[in-house]
Amino acid sequence: MRPILLAGHERALTQIKYNREGDLIFSVSKDQQICVWFAHNGERLGTYRGHQGAIWTIDVDPTTTILASGSADNTIRLWDVKTGKCLKTWDFPTAVKRVEFNEDGTKLLGVTEKRMGHLGTIVVLDVKVDVEAEQADEKAMTIVCEESKATVAGWSYLSKYIIAGHEDGSVSQYDGKTGDLIYNIPIHELNQPITDLQWAPDRTYFITSSKDKTAKLITAKDLEVLKTYTADTPLNSATITPKKDFVILGGGQAAMDVTTTAARQGKFEARFYHKIFEDEIGRVRGHFGPLNTVAADPTGKGYASGGEDGYVRVHHFDKGYFDFMYEVERERQNRLAAAASA
Amino acid sequence: MATQKKHDWADDEELDETTTTTDLPPPQKIQNKDGTTTIIEYSYNDNGQKVKTTRRVRYVVRREVVNPRVAERKGWAKFGASANDPAGPAPDTTSVGENIIFTPSINWRKDSKDESKDPNAQSMRDKLKDKKVKCRICNGEHFTARCPYKDTMAPIGEAGTADMAAGLGDEAPAGAASLAGAAGPGKKGSYVPPALRGGPGGRDGERMGGKYGERDDFATLRVTNVSEMAEEQELRDMFERFGRVTRVFLAKDRDTGLAKGFAFISFADRNDAIKACNKMDGFGFRHLILRVEFAKKAQ
Repeated sequence: MRPILLAGHERALTQIKYNREGDLIFSVSKDQQICVWFAHNGERLGTYRGHQGAIWTIDVDPTTTILASGSADNTIRLWDVKTGKCLKTWDFPTAVKRVEFNEDGTKLLGVTEKRMGHLGTIVVLDVKVDVEAEQADEKAMTIVCEESKATVAGWSYLSKYIIAGHEDGSVSQYDGKTGDLIYNIPIHELNQPITDLQWAPDRTYFITSSKDKTAKLITAKDLEVLKTYTADTPLNSATITPKKDFVILGGGQAAMDVTTTAARQGKFEARFYHKIFEDEIGRVRGHFGPLNTVAADPTGKGYASGGEDGYVRVHHFDKGYFDFMYEVERERQNRLAAAASA
Repeated sequence: MATQKKHDWADDEELDETTTTTDLPPPQKIQNKDGTTTIIEYSYNDNGQKVKTTRRVRYVVRREVVNPRVAERKGWAKFGASANDPAGPAPDTTSVGENIIFTPSINWRKDSKDESKDPNAQSMRDKLKDKKVKCRICNGEHFTARCPYKDTMAPIGEAGTADMAAGLGDEAPAGAASLAGAAGPGKKGSYVPPALRGGPGGRDGERMGGKYGERDDFATLRVTNVSEMAEEQELRDMFERFGRVTRVFLAKDRDTGLAKGFAFISFADRNDAIKACNKMDGFGFRHLILRVEFAKKAQ
């Protein structure tokens, strides 16, 4: 496969998101602008300007009408996807590290940083998926993380729970309506921050990545660890691929921690693991720095990765990727085919 | 979508048909039985010769079902920084990377281990197999920086030549002894420059930063036949390819500011210096051919 290189950013990438149909890619970096690209050929559709600080996070609603972004300038902004116009700005006392829409796009959560005497919080905002509509100023709900600040958070299926990953390596489950803490379970190694949390398509389970060099597949309902993927480098991002049962992990020695360079250029590769069997099945190289974010195309045809080097690399998989199967998978398929024909 | 069939030279019987008539026959289109179309066109080439071009074309209609929302989005106008870009990917933001072969494999780990057996890594390992860490102070098997006698004793090769310090110093004790004998207490009354005064006790405090001077010398290259117009930065750029350059000195005329034709380049690592010496000797820079050799120790 020949990756498409997107060079729209001047600084390290922080997050990449595909929209629901997988035809648009939204990318944000520390250089204060949001870019939107066509996934099939890498053409840039536009940029969204207005943020005054590094942008940490982005999300698009399921209908690809409005876009939310969180930045180090202490704001969450809402944008019109089609025209690039800023629709609404919410101000917070500290930087916003993560935003995410719920499944129907009516609610938006934001994770704010712990800094300057303010505790880390998870805020919920009511959103109207309409470019013309007046958005509410008030927060619908605020969850304060007293013990350890949240680094990532997301909505479970039916917006029933809010799942948050914390700086101390634990994962919390909050009630989606009241904001009450239901569980807080130490999942990753103590004091190894959770760096990413991405959902399976039906939002019943999710994958977390952590600086403790592992990624884990966890159920949303009772926070049970289903699978563990062990890498040899701190991880910054993890995603679940639709269509094939794989997960993609991204990481690498952080630029500030690199003291030696190995022949293999410092492990800046996307790692593919089999979701069920937990085996590493391959790597894709290409970035010159650690991978900060990986995102899987919701159609399962490709993935995109963003690195500290400022590039987004969009990959469309070859046939070999789709043909790959474990022996047991192939046997099962043959059995099913035989049963269907009989 | 039109696809041009692979053109076989044997098919063009009359590709270079030279005629003097100026009128061209009208282009022809012939439907073939196998569903292809043959298009015959006539034109003149640069030499004024008439050229007949025969193409066989097959039209294939490929229908792709696209989500209507996706199709609608493809028609959106560009905005923001891309507002003035023409249709299609802009070359300044979008490019295609080199081909990556990615085929998932159960034995991926095993395969990648084999990769570590590649000849490059292997030869490096062979080279280093017989190498041992050797202290320059006491010849023990530890780094010089870790030597317990670091503060009390001077390196063995200190009084000898730079080459000894570079690790060829097997005869170092003998050399040091003879030199010390010649310059030290042997001839009483004759002046010995401080740098050459032997004995561990007599050296302290007399050589400021002497250790670094020593180190500099054995990884320093002397570059001669340098162009007058050369700049230090240019030399640095040229030599930095081989390793970390700690110092570049380009001799310049005080009045004119032009280079005098020689320079010294110090590397952090002697191996880099050796590499650079081999590669850059005879290198054409500006209009002259560089001569690169190891700097001789200043006595």
